[in-house]
Amino acid sequence: MIASMVVYGLVNSVILALIAMGFSLTFGISGVANFAYGGFYLLSGYLTWMLLKYLEFPLALAILVTVLAVGFLGFITYWVILLRVRGIVLSEVIATFALGVGMLEFFRWKGFVTYEFTLPSFIKGGVEIAGVPLDYQRLFIIGIGLALVLFLYFFTHHTRIGLSFRGIAQNERTAISLGIESDWTAALSLAFGSGMAAVAAIVILPLGIISINVGYDVLLIAVAVGIIGGLESVPGILAGSLILGYAQVITGMYLSPEWMMVVYLLAIVLVLAIKPSGLFGKFKELEERV
Amino acid sequence: MKERAPLYFASFILAISIVFLASPVSPAKAAEPIIIGVPTALGSIEGADGWRSVQMAVEEINAKGGVAVGGVKRPLKAYSIDTREHEPGIPVHDALTAVEKLILEKKPHAIVLGAFRSEILMASMDLIAKYKLPYICSIAMTPAFQKKIVENYDQYKYMFRNCLNAIYLVKYLQGVMAFLNKEFGFTKAYLTVQDTLWAQATGKGLDAWYKGHGWEVAGFDPYPLGASDFSPSLIKVRAKKAQVIVPIFDMPQSGILLKQARSMKAPALLCGFISPVAPGNAWDVFEGEVEGMINFLFEIGPIPVKAVPKSVAYNENYGKRWGDDARIKLSGHGPGPSYDSVYVLADAIERAGTLEPDALVSALEKTDLTGVVGRIKFAKDHQVVYGVDPKETAIGCAFQWRKPGVRVPVFPEVVAEGKIELPPHMK
Repeated sequence: MIASMVVYGLVNSVILALIAMGFSLTFGISGVANFAYGGFYLLSGYLTWMLLKYLEFPLALAILVTVLAVGFLGFITYWVILLRVRGIVLSEVIATFALGVGMLEFFRWKGFVTYEFTLPSFIKGGVEIAGVPLDYQRLFIIGIGLALVLFLYFFTHHTRIGLSFRGIAQNERTAISLGIESDWTAALSLAFGSGMAAVAAIVILPLGIISINVGYDVLLIAVAVGIIGGLESVPGILAGSLILGYAQVITGMYLSPEWMMVVYLLAIVLVLAIKPSGLFGKFKELEERV
Repeated sequence: MKERAPLYFASFILAISIVFLASPVSPAKAAEPIIIGVPTALGSIEGADGWRSVQMAVEEINAKGGVAVGGVKRPLKAYSIDTREHEPGIPVHDALTAVEKLILEKKPHAIVLGAFRSEILMASMDLIAKYKLPYICSIAMTPAFQKKIVENYDQYKYMFRNCLNAIYLVKYLQGVMAFLNKEFGFTKAYLTVQDTLWAQATGKGLDAWYKGHGWEVAGFDPYPLGASDFSPSLIKVRAKKAQVIVPIFDMPQSGILLKQARSMKAPALLCGFISPVAPGNAWDVFEGEVEGMINFLFEIGPIPVKAVPKSVAYNENYGKRWGDDARIKLSGHGPGPSYDSVYVLADAIERAGTLEPDALVSALEKTDLTGVVGRIKFAKDHQVVYGVDPKETAIGCAFQWRKPGVRVPVFPEVVAEGKIELPPHMK
């Protein structure tokens, strides 16, 4: 049972990290808390499902089209909705939250609510690790989660756009004075964040079904992980995911599965009360010290 | 021009008069329709199928001239409202507001199908008592409903239920478990239930039965609505070497339990109720992972049973009215009783000869007719009696998913077309 807990705790942690990374990336660069994140996640699931079901795309092509389309939608969202309210935090939250709820409830209105909406596993079958059976899809999740972290590191340290992301994240005014275009960078951060939501959806959703409440849960997870680790910090996201991932599995196994969702809420309250910037967050660190 | 004005005016009056006189003599006022209210979770598969079944029954009865009330044939007219109660996080008062809106706006003479969640059914009892509306519930399953009627008959006598309840589901499950014990020597079960009144009641009822019949209950895990990660229970199923997993769920997410059980190689037979696994397209939706599972259809109809010709006719007519795709996707709980409820109501109205609520309640209590689900008779607690012989009672059935994607009825004997087999991963 301990081995199972370790293996499935790790899988659960990587799932949480995958979900939270796109949200964190956007916030870390543009300072925009994209509360439409759950909507983008769910849209990715339904879009892939429709491409597979109605247009009979091969899975790889459906994935590619979905990631690009959702990324582009994130890009457009910045120019159409966020540009006018940029810097007014409450308005940003309200605008993105309204967009997200609108997307989710649109799918509900159109009847995307039954058990039929599932995505196929990439490959069927599985392996045993320390006597614990693990299907290939969960292995994919771990692999893609690690690959995304490495990609993000490489991208933000060794590419021109990535360096401009970091420049804006560190000090927007200085970055602008050095010729980095703030709005373009922020729009790209929305595009990357949304694209990452799509990647997360496509690898995680085959484990469950595509249902409306998943969109709301995903937003809660992204916020909870971000608050624990620090919203703009990649190491923080990883630490937050590990803490929450294992806490959830242990709660499910030794207390009761009905308490698993409470773990998120409890963690948010505790961290906000003790260290509002999160374990690795820097945004309010100075104020907290004072 | 001026001289001709009276002529034009007279012509105009004449034309108007001709139009009126030429109109057919207005017939005697058409018979007022009998209004049926259908407040339910239309977004759920059970609610949607139930609503279609109600419409079908209304159309059939109207095609035969309607319902005789005091010597006058009156058509039926059904109105629905979506209570959204199957969705996680919908407050009880939201659903009740929808029910009351329907009552106030459409002024129904009776309500059929009704609450999806037991919590909403229980909460709506006072509302129904206030308006004194005959109410036949066809989805919500808590036994607490009957208890409340018996305890305060005068107030709650307007409410009836013609679908299976949790007590009868437990009895059916006991029958299958006794077979599994006898045939395969199984004695260890793991219960996973939805954290709702009916599912908890079913789980607790079965838990008590297991303990009194030499079984060991390896675990009992409730899952909140909307949960889709069942790995904590499946890890414990493996660790504790449970032989039977008993899932009791009606939420759409629950279907994924099967895929997770297969991928985690849980070495146990799944036997219980997972709503998304009941329809005929579940094999394709879950990519064949349903193979071997024993699932219940709470009431027959979605699977036609030769011993009950009306279930065969209903199944065929449903396909003709709503398409074969809709027929294949018929849910395992609610459609048959929803259809029957309209006939039960029409029968009671004709016998009572009035729409007066108290007279209707008396007539409903004396119901004895054969419907899609078998013989329909209400017990004193206003619950239709379920059993294993459709000549005596209403019936449900258990089926097993087999290759190449067929549902083989296995329980009770009267509907069985095959014996329960162990799935390939347990052989």
